Amino acid sequence: MSTPALDLLDVSKDFGRIIALRKVALRVELGEFVSILGRNGAGKTTLLNIISGISKPSSGKVELFGSDPSDTVNKSKLAVISHEMFLYGNLTAIENLEYYARIYKVPNMKERIESLLHSVELTHRRFDLVNTYSRGMTQRLTIARALLHEPQLLLLDEPFTGLDQHAIGMLTKLLLEQKRQGRTILLTTHDLHIASELSDRYVIIEKHQITHNGPMKDTSPEAIRKKYFSIDTEVATA
Amino acid sequence: MRSRIDKILLTILLIAFLVSLYLVFLWVPQIKASNVSEQIAQKIFYYHVPSAWLGFLAFFIVFVASVAYLWKRERKYELISVASAEIGVLFITLVLITGPIWAKPVWGIWWTWDARLTSSLILWLIYVAFLMLRRYLPDGSKRANLSAVVGILGFVDVPIVYYSIRWWETQHPKAVMASSEGSLAAPMFIAFMFTLATFTLLYIFLMKKRYQLLVLEDQVNKQFKEMELL
Amino acid sequence: MRAALAILKKDLQMEFRSKESILAMWIFSLLIFVIFNFTFEVSRLVMLEIAPGLLWVAFIFSGMFGLNHSFAIEKENGNLRSMALMPVDGGQIYIGKFLSVTSIMLMFEILIFPIFVIFYDLQLSLQMLMLIPVILAGTIGFTSLGTILSAVSVHTRNQQILLSLLLWPLVSPIVIWSVNLTGVIINGEITASFYPLLIRVVAFDVIFFTLAYMLFDFILED
Repeated sequence: MSTPALDLLDVSKDFGRIIALRKVALRVELGEFVSILGRNGAGKTTLLNIISGISKPSSGKVELFGSDPSDTVNKSKLAVISHEMFLYGNLTAIENLEYYARIYKVPNMKERIESLLHSVELTHRRFDLVNTYSRGMTQRLTIARALLHEPQLLLLDEPFTGLDQHAIGMLTKLLLEQKRQGRTILLTTHDLHIASELSDRYVIIEKHQITHNGPMKDTSPEAIRKKYFSIDTEVATA
Repeated sequence: MRSRIDKILLTILLIAFLVSLYLVFLWVPQIKASNVSEQIAQKIFYYHVPSAWLGFLAFFIVFVASVAYLWKRERKYELISVASAEIGVLFITLVLITGPIWAKPVWGIWWTWDARLTSSLILWLIYVAFLMLRRYLPDGSKRANLSAVVGILGFVDVPIVYYSIRWWETQHPKAVMASSEGSLAAPMFIAFMFTLATFTLLYIFLMKKRYQLLVLEDQVNKQFKEMELL
Repeated sequence: MRAALAILKKDLQMEFRSKESILAMWIFSLLIFVIFNFTFEVSRLVMLEIAPGLLWVAFIFSGMFGLNHSFAIEKENGNLRSMALMPVDGGQIYIGKFLSVTSIMLMFEILIFPIFVIFYDLQLSLQMLMLIPVILAGTIGFTSLGTILSAVSVHTRNQQILLSLLLWPLVSPIVIWSVNLTGVIINGEITASFYPLLIRVVAFDVIFFTLAYMLFDFILED
């Protein structure tokens, strides 16, 4: 059996009075696209933090590409896109990308940045300060930043929140392209339609543990909604 | 949670403090001093110095617990460091209160920017800041990490703070154990050591109680949390 | 060092674009000189005596701006989390931030020193050159502790007040020593006791830099 991209076994995270995750088991194969659904505070962010090596589990085993997530090698295979930008408003697009390129040791830095800026349609604004960008533009630049070092695993933490239709479309397109290239993708979201459109499998986290885990192809958004109808209200308000 | 050990400890403490009061105020011969208030003020030394020693011990425990926490990542070490910091601040507060009470009749002033006094105040500020930091942060492993880092940096700084102001002329009495004739007076020594032991026992008792309380708090909150999750 | 230098470059790019820190620090120091002049109306002789302390008060109070700013920009768009995600050792990130804070503070010190000389009518002499190692050592001590404590306090809502509460007591030895050394240079002859004290400041720098370097990983981690 080949090494999975991600293997969590009985992972719990609690600290003092706080319970963040309870015995989570999750196996994600290479090239798989998995959506993680759940309410705010259910433990999605903690899960992503543990996968990305920022946070250590209290018990259980986590393996990323067969080794510890906090290994430097693993960290350079990983990219996180969240509603936070991870960009500096007082730098231009080019300066921001160059900064990350240096840290992630991206080869052929200049060409790579040019081509990425082109694919997110920001070439004409590349010398402008990021704090003059619209929300959609910033998010596109965030995507470019995340893809800069050709990550093998993409962690997306509610990336669609507050995006306009254009940006959502572009992000969806880019994600599908990444999937075609064999990248493994984990997405947390409230949006059942996007989740069912993009992913191979869905996982529902409720009260800090995984309650459902199944393939997407023989399920409709409505069926998932039935399994976890509390999401319904959040989609309605979103 | 009131265990038998606690009862025994408390009883010993009560008796020890009564004995200590007897030893200090009645048993030890009066020092020769220019006036009565100075004679009485001298008694404060039996409580002032043990408080200072225990303050240091408490902060040393904060340091050890902080290192242990970063190593093992267990909640209990975080709780030990908090309990010890709180008690340490309490004891250094006692030092800063008893000091001026002694200084007023003897030196004629409450406070002077003397080396020993200043460094004690800085020490107090370091650990008050440590506790303040914890108040401003939400509970969790992040807070535990950050306060452990400060607990380590703070303790490493303590000897440096003392060293940095050493060349100042200090008015603070040095030969604390010398009697009026200049030699070590046996009764003074006995009374002092007895009080020191009593204070150490008090520290242990307070630590035990405070730690138990923090653990209990965690248990209660976790129970609530688990009830929610059902 | 690659990551540290990337962080340094990024910070300096931003600083030179906005000049936020240096300008604020410079004006603030000027204010300190002016306010001290009004609050303590003293003779020139006394002024010379308190001048070393005044210089360091200006450095340290203004330095707080730089320290607060340094991690405020990291917190702004979640960049602190992004730093935790980087495939580099936390120590590297510490060095990067330390270098940027220190270089910005040194630049500000170079800019404010001539004003200090003019305001307090200091006699320039060859001995004044000894101020270079003293200011360098004192500043590095301040920023090596300040960088890590700023990274600690940025996690709270009251980061500015908390940074002062944490940093000032801890950095007090460095300030005391630096003021003493500066006083010796400005007002008197350099004696044999000068160098051991300077070495002590350097030793302090080394201890806290190393400690902060080792502990920085824990600050980024959740």
